[in-house]
Parts: sequence; structure tokens; C-alpha cells
Amino acid sequence: MSPVIDLQDVHLTLPSKAGAVNILQGITTAFHPGQSIAIVGPSGSGKTSLLMIMAGLERATTGRVTVAGHDFGALSEDELAEVRGRDVGIVFQAFHLIPTMTALENVALPLELTGRSDAIAEATARLGDVGLDHRIEHYPAQLSGGEQQRVALARAMAPRPKVLFADEPTGNLDETTGEQVIELLFRLKDRDGASLILVTHDLELARRCDRVLRMADGRLAEADDAAPATGKREAAE
Amino acid sequence: MSVSTPDASELDAETAKRAGGSDFAARLPLVPRLALRELRSGLSGFGIFVACIALGVAVITGIGTLADGLLNGFAQQGRTLLGGDITVSRIHRRATAEELAGFGKLGSVSEAGLLRSMARVPARDDQALVEIKSVDNAYPLVGTFELKSGKALADVIAQPATAVVAESLLDRLRLVVGDTFELGGKPIKVGGVIANEPDKIAARLAFGPRVLVSTDTLLATGLVQPGTLIRWRYAITNDDDDPLATDAETLKSFRDAGFIVRDRTNPSPSVTQTIDRLRQFLSLLGLTALLVGGVGVANAVNTFVDRRRASIATYKAVGASQSTVFRVFLTQIMAIAAVGIAIGLVVGISVPLAIPYFVGNDFAIPLAPTLTWQTVVIGIAYGALIALLFTIWPLGQAERVKPAALFRDDVGGSTSGALPGRASLIRTGLVAAALAGLTYAASGTPRISMGFLAGVVVILALFWGLGTLVTYVARRMSRPRRPELALAMTGLAAPGGLTRSVVISLGAGLSLLVAVALVDRSLVAELEGRLPENSPNYFALDINKNDLARFDSEVRSAVPKADVQTAPMLRGRIVELNGVATDKAKAPPEAEWVLRGDRGLSFAETLPKGSTIVSGAWWPANYSGEPQVSFVEDLAKDLGLKIGDTVTVNVLGRNVTARIANLRRIDWESLSINFVMVFSPNTLAAAPYNVLATVRLPKETTAEQEAAVGRAVGRVMPSVTMIRVRDAIEAFAGVFGSVMVAVRAAGSITLLAGALVLAGALATAQRRRIIQAVILKCIGATRRKLLTAHLVEYGLLALIAATLAVLFGAIAAYVVTAFVLEVSFTLSPTAILLALAVSLGLILTFGALGTWRVLAARPVPYLRSL
Repeated sequence: MSPVIDLQDVHLTLPSKAGAVNILQGITTAFHPGQSIAIVGPSGSGKTSLLMIMAGLERATTGRVTVAGHDFGALSEDELAEVRGRDVGIVFQAFHLIPTMTALENVALPLELTGRSDAIAEATARLGDVGLDHRIEHYPAQLSGGEQQRVALARAMAPRPKVLFADEPTGNLDETTGEQVIELLFRLKDRDGASLILVTHDLELARRCDRVLRMADGRLAEADDAAPATGKREAAE
Repeated sequence: MSVSTPDASELDAETAKRAGGSDFAARLPLVPRLALRELRSGLSGFGIFVACIALGVAVITGIGTLADGLLNGFAQQGRTLLGGDITVSRIHRRATAEELAGFGKLGSVSEAGLLRSMARVPARDDQALVEIKSVDNAYPLVGTFELKSGKALADVIAQPATAVVAESLLDRLRLVVGDTFELGGKPIKVGGVIANEPDKIAARLAFGPRVLVSTDTLLATGLVQPGTLIRWRYAITNDDDDPLATDAETLKSFRDAGFIVRDRTNPSPSVTQTIDRLRQFLSLLGLTALLVGGVGVANAVNTFVDRRRASIATYKAVGASQSTVFRVFLTQIMAIAAVGIAIGLVVGISVPLAIPYFVGNDFAIPLAPTLTWQTVVIGIAYGALIALLFTIWPLGQAERVKPAALFRDDVGGSTSGALPGRASLIRTGLVAAALAGLTYAASGTPRISMGFLAGVVVILALFWGLGTLVTYVARRMSRPRRPELALAMTGLAAPGGLTRSVVISLGAGLSLLVAVALVDRSLVAELEGRLPENSPNYFALDINKNDLARFDSEVRSAVPKADVQTAPMLRGRIVELNGVATDKAKAPPEAEWVLRGDRGLSFAETLPKGSTIVSGAWWPANYSGEPQVSFVEDLAKDLGLKIGDTVTVNVLGRNVTARIANLRRIDWESLSINFVMVFSPNTLAAAPYNVLATVRLPKETTAEQEAAVGRAVGRVMPSVTMIRVRDAIEAFAGVFGSVMVAVRAAGSITLLAGALVLAGALATAQRRRIIQAVILKCIGATRRKLLTAHLVEYGLLALIAATLAVLFGAIAAYVVTAFVLEVSFTLSPTAILLALAVSLGLILTFGALGTWRVLAARPVPYLRSL
């Protein structure tokens, strides 16, 4: 089975006043369809940068990034946006819902951008998936943090993406709410057969994934201390 | 939680409605649909944006509507103002019986004679220049002539040697009804005072009060002699819709006989042209207000974009292309601009219509409220283009917001320093070109308009650069020891701070105000005080050629050292250039006046004093060959004439063709006797003509001696009209003064736009300032220290903006006075002090209002939100 994400010797160097900083230093790995992968590591280790590169939000300085069959190095900004709208879903720590749009419109947005005529109906169904079909007319400011993150999850899953990226999805939520969102995240991912790339500080959460990778000083390695609790890793490989 | 998928199509319309959308919204294409959702955030933060656009559009539309109203009033009242459907007029020569019969075929005819002369009161040796009009029994064919006494005009002036006069003449010569004065040495009784003269505007610029007499009375005065500068005007009424189409052949025959034909649709082309010019010039000032307001537009869009960075990044993260994001926000902002344009249109259209209710219909021309599509379209186009011009740039910067910012918690940052993408740079260039194109197309004098626009853009760019420079310098200066000063410097140097906005808004507005004030002062100084060193004191018209010696001795009897220069003068109209009729020739606007109406013509044996030949040669003494003419160089160039070309003039109803022998350069401002065309003597000497003279008095001459010259001539030569140059200039200055009021008002609007931008910029910075003040208070800053810091910062900004505004305003005024108006430049300290005072006043007022709120802010709520 060909990998849904294939990274070959990916480097990311960013300029700074003190000189160039090597954020990612030669990352080579591959993730398979349907896999869930957790990336853990200390702050500043490059986790989020790697996530941004895989989501097509940042370009690698050198190396090859292939996601859902697309060579990101060969795509323009707008082509990358199209790939995100179709094949990639992202859940942010700070939700990032559009404040002027209702929950329904926020979820419909990626579908509308790809020209889907059934965007509203599809979005309504996705909100039903996250248990918010009674809140579709509400604006983000009228929703709790947990509800906002569920809307964000529904938005990320609306186009039925091949890959779902989540950056500290429970970072702004209390424990109980966070747990509910994570349950939902895994359930939807499993239902749609999407791959999940999860960046987190929470080792317990990481252990729920098929694979746990540790990021340190811009390098990626299997995390032996945070091996998946279920032992799915070996099965997946 | 359900994971089933309901049938999409069933849900779509219903859920869209439930989600607060409408069928209409749901069916819109993607970009307007998303823009409509964005508009839910309302106009918050766009108050100044809307106000800036509305103000500029209101000024441009207001000026357009006022001009339309005046022109329409002019056209509607054209019949009354003209005194008929058509008038034909000719100078020097009264219509023949045959010509009168020709007029009669077109309809009812009324004859009037118009000339300037002196009204004298011999008992007091007092005299005044008057505008005489003689009328027949048919007058007025249209409208009502009213006397203050209520009597009928015909009854009063039918009495021998009786006139009705303007009230100002009674004041000037200390007369009452029933008294007598003299015209041409003949006694005339004041039979009444004029209350309303319907066709007053059809006459030229009045140098003196009106005296209205019957034709018989005029002829009895002996003022009308061969060569007298009298205009005979025949008003004709008929019932045709298009009076000029009546009988083109007949009208052409009138023109061929030397008559000037006017019709009710345009009673006075010069008044129409003046209104048009004024509309164009004031519209340019309105455009300047829009451009200055554009800075406020850009500031508002910048603030908006900064607030919406997270949303923009989110759009991109979920798959929106750069162009989709750009179009969604552009649509939203242009929808808000449409609100400003609509308000501007409503205000701009209604204010001129309301003028008569507030200040009365005191215009010389009746205002006929009217709305033309051109005025509305031009207002909308300017408003939309300015909104686009100042929106595309910051939106182009926003296009560069990277969705990665969402991960870095960097959404609060600003993109205002970044250069927009190539597409936005091209879009900005296209909109700027469209704006320049519109200004070009809407202007009758494109060269001046484009120069003006370029000047405004350069000044805006200079202030932008200077604002940046001030920020740069403030950042690099060593930190002052006094904390208040250090705080003030920090304020000036702050990234995204006020400096650039304030310097541009206040600076550009003030520059224009200073420029307008200085041009105004220079023109007033030119008109009032700075008559050329050698300018004459009097122009004397209608001196009989045989009376020259007497005229000279009368002048010298009053002032022995007087210098008298004379030249023969006739009036005539250019009818053909190189055999092509002038009504078919295309003349540039600056030379149109030469072809319109009568020109003074002269002839001379030798080159007139004060003229220089630039090409060709003067004719030899006693020249008797083909008629030749000397033409003024710059006008010849404008009309495309060169040596060897022919000019045909109609003099006394006869066409005379002469060949251009040479081109002369003359100094118009010297007020010497100068004619556009001077002919070889053999061309015109046989025609009946009078002599024009200038009288120059020595410098030490008193006003009393100057008046004595006029009286001395008036006593013995009653038919000679003495025009005191100073009086003529004052008459012109009166008209000019009213125009300058309008110019100053339009100029002040720009400052108002600047004030709006300033208020907007200060409001944007308010929250940052409050938070800064709260923190400073927490660490021990007193209110007094904070107040001082604000005062120093605002004071410095005001000083910088005002100083540079004075500098740029003065340069602009110098360019306009020296190169466009060609008058001497006067640097008025009053205008400069006024600019400084306005600048300080505005910024301190707005600053004080803001500072009050900053000082009054309670720390706790702000500290909690930090």
C-alpha cells in the first residue's frame, strides 16, 4: 500500500536576526492510509513546523514532501490550498472558527470553496456527527470551547479528507471536554478511514495512536518511552 | 452521537434558512455569499472610512449638481435672460431697414443700443461711468421690467430726455428722482429707479450703473457717432422649439453681415464657460479631499485586515485560494464603500437643492434644481475608484497572510509593512490609471487637471515619506532622560503608530489650504496693490479722431506731466482663418475668447510701443499693397496661424481679409494699448473710427488730481468715456472675490477630510494608548507626566506637519501663481500663521479628547484583558 504521506530528507531552515535556524534536519518517514500517528516532543523541537509542512502551509527548504499523491514542491500556493480543501483537514488548538459565520457556515465553508452544491446539507450532517445539529445557527462567540472545537472538527472532516492534522486539539479545553473531543476525533477518523497526525504534549493521548514519534532538535525518531498502549503499531507496520 | 449521513438535497434549502440565510443568499455565487456573511460584523471600525468617502463624493456631486442647477436655470430662463428667443447684435453699425425687415420675418423684434459713457452733474463737477441702454417701445419682449415707483417703463421714458437709472447711480452722483444729469452734454431727467431688468445678464461685465433711455433720447444726446463703441442688439421672439434651426440661411446671412447671433439655449457662452471652468476646478479640490480621505480609507482597511488576519488564515487553511480571499474581502469593503458613496450622493444632491431655502436665490442666475446622470456617474466613479485605490494595497498585503500563522499564534501581527503581491500592484496601477483617465475625461482643461492631480499625488507621497522618516529618526535618537520626553519619542517611533497617518492627513489637508490661501493673497495683491509700474490711470474711449489735440490739452490742464498714448480703435469679429469659417475651426480653450465676439482692432504705421517682433517684418512706411496684419505670437500659435496665413475680420458689416506679416510679443500686464491684431493703415484707415487713449500720470499724482483729469475731459468732451483703471480692477475684484469664497470653501473641505483621517488614526491608537497608560500608572507614572508626554508627542507632530505643509503649500502656490496664472507670488505671513494655528488647534483638540479618555481609564478592566 503506498503511503499517504511520504517525507524524504525534509529540511526547514528559517532566517532570524541571529542567523539561520535549522528547524527540521533531514526528516524521512512515511505514514500509511488509516494510520494514526502522534508526534510528541518538547516545545520548540519542530513538531508544529513539521505539521505545517505536511499540511502544505509551509514549504520545506529542501527535501520531498508527498501528501495524498501530491508532490507539494511542484504545487503553487493556490494548488496547495485546493489540496487542503479536498484531501486535508486541520484542527487547531485555538479552534480558529470564522467569527462572522454560524457553526453551519463554518463547516460548509471548505465544501463551498470546492464548489459543492450540497455544501449546506453535507455540513448539517457533519454537525450532526459531532452532536451539534441543534447549534447550527449559533455563532462561535455563542458556543463553549468544547462546542467550538467540535465545530472545528466537523469542518476539518467535512470534505472527508484523506489526512487529518490536529495540533494540540485539547490544549484549550478542560479534561472532560477534551476527552469527549478526542473520542469523537478517533471515531470520525476511523469511520472515514482517514489518517490522523496528532501533535500533542499529552503522552496518554499519544499512546492511543498507532505510532508515536518523538521530535527532538529537528529530528524525528520512534518514541520508545511512549509506545502505543494498544500495540497497534506493529500491526500497522 | 450520530454518524449517519442524511439526504443532502432535502436538507439544503431548509437548513440554509434555519442557519439565518435566505434563499437569495444561498443562491448567490461563492464570493458574494461569503462577503455577505463577512458583512455581519457590521460597519464597526468603518465610520471614518464611510465618512471620508461620503465627504469626497458629496463635494464632487454637490459641485456638479450646483453647476447643473445653474446651467439648467440658465437654459430654462434663457429666453428671459436673453430678452428673446434669439438676439443678433453688431457693434458700431445699426441694422439697416432691409436687415430689420429680415429680423421681422422671424418674429417680433425689439431694438436696444448698449454703450458706456459718462453721466455728469455739471453743478458739482461730478461724473460717473455708466452703462447706457436704449430701448424701443417693444422692450421687453420677454419678462417684466419693473420700476420702483410701479409706473410703466414705456410711459416714463417716452417723455423727452428722461432716463430710468439704477439706484447706485443716485447714490454715486447724489441725485434723487426728478433731478437732472448730463449725457453727452445734454440734460437728462431721472424719471425713475430700476427695480428689475430681466435681460441684465445678457450684457457684459458692468463697470458702472445702468442708465436706461428711449432710442430717441439716446440719439438726441449726440453720443452715437460713426465709430462710437455702441452695440446694437435686436431681440427676436418666435415660437420654434429650436430657435437656431428656424431659418439657417437667414441666420447665416446675419452672421455674414457682422452680427453675433445668440439663442435662448445659451444666452451667454462666457457665463456658461465660467460655470464649467469653476465646476472643473472645484471638482479637482473635491478630488483632493477624496485623495486625502483615501489615507483614512487605507488606515481603516489596514486596521480591519489586522483584525481579520485569523479569519484570512483560516480561509486559506480550509482551502481558499489567495484570489478568493482577496475577492471576498474586497467585495465586503466595496459594499461598505457603497454606503459611503450613497450617503455622499444624497448629501451632494440635496445640499445645492436646499441652498435657495437657506441663503435665498441670490445668484445672478436662477438656480433650477436638476439632476444629470453624468454628475451622478462621476460622483460614483470617483468614490469607487478612491475606495479601490486605497483598499487594494492593504488587501494585497493581507493576501500574504500565511495560514501557518494560525499555528504560531501569530495572528495578532501586522502585514502593513509588507509589499503586496504582483497582482495587487498591477491592480493598484490599473485603478490609478482609471482615476487619472476619469480626471482627464471629466476635465475641459486636461493639462491643468493632470498637473494638479500629479501635484497632489506627489505631495501625498512626500508626506508619506516624511512620516516614515520621522518614525525612523525617532527610533534612532538617543533616549531623552526626562521620562515624559522619552514616552513622547516612543509614541512617535511606535510601529503602526500615529506618525505617518497624522503627518499625511494633516499635512496634505493643510498644504492645500496654505496653497489656496497664498494663491488667493497673491491674486488679491496683484489686483489691488500691484498695478504694473507704468500702468495707465485711465483708458479713454470714443475720442473723435479730430479731437485728439483737445483731449491732450484737457488732460495736461489738470496734470501737466501726464503721458497720453493713443491708437485708432474699431471693433470687429474674426470670421475666417485661412478662408475657413471660425465656427468650423477648432480652437483650444485658452484661445477660444479670441474667436468669440468682437475684438478691438487697430492699425499703425510703426510697431506699437511695448511690442517686440518675434518673426516676420513690419510693413514699410506708406505701405499700400495687400492688406497686412500683425498677430500676437502666443495666440497665433494656439490658433495654428503662421506668417503668410490670412485672417478675415468683419468690421462694420464688411469682411476684410489681411495676410499675417509678422508675429508680435506683447506684455498684457503692462496695461498699455495692446491689440491682438494691428493692421497696416491702408486696411482700415478709410473706415469711420474713434481713438482709444491711455493716460499715465506721474507717481506723485494725488487721488484728487487723478479725479480732476476725468472731470476736465468730461466737462468739454462729454462723449468721451473715461474708465479709471483702478475702478475697473475693483469691479473685477468683486466678481473674483465671490469666486474665491467658493474656492476657499472647497479647499477647507480637504482639511475637513484631513481632520476625519486624523480622528480615525487617533481612535485606532486609542486602545494601545490606554493599555500603555494603565501599565505606566501601575509602575508609578502620574497623570501629569502622561499628559505632558501626550502633549509633547502631539505638539511635535502638529509642528512637523504644519511646517512641511507651509513649505509644500508655498511651493505649490508659487508654481500656480508663477506658471499657471502668471502673476507675482506673495508670501503672506497671515496665511502661514493661520495654517500653524489650525494644525495645532486640530491635533490638540482631537488629542486632548483622546488623552482625557486615556487618563480617565480605570486600570482593572484593562489589566484583566491583557
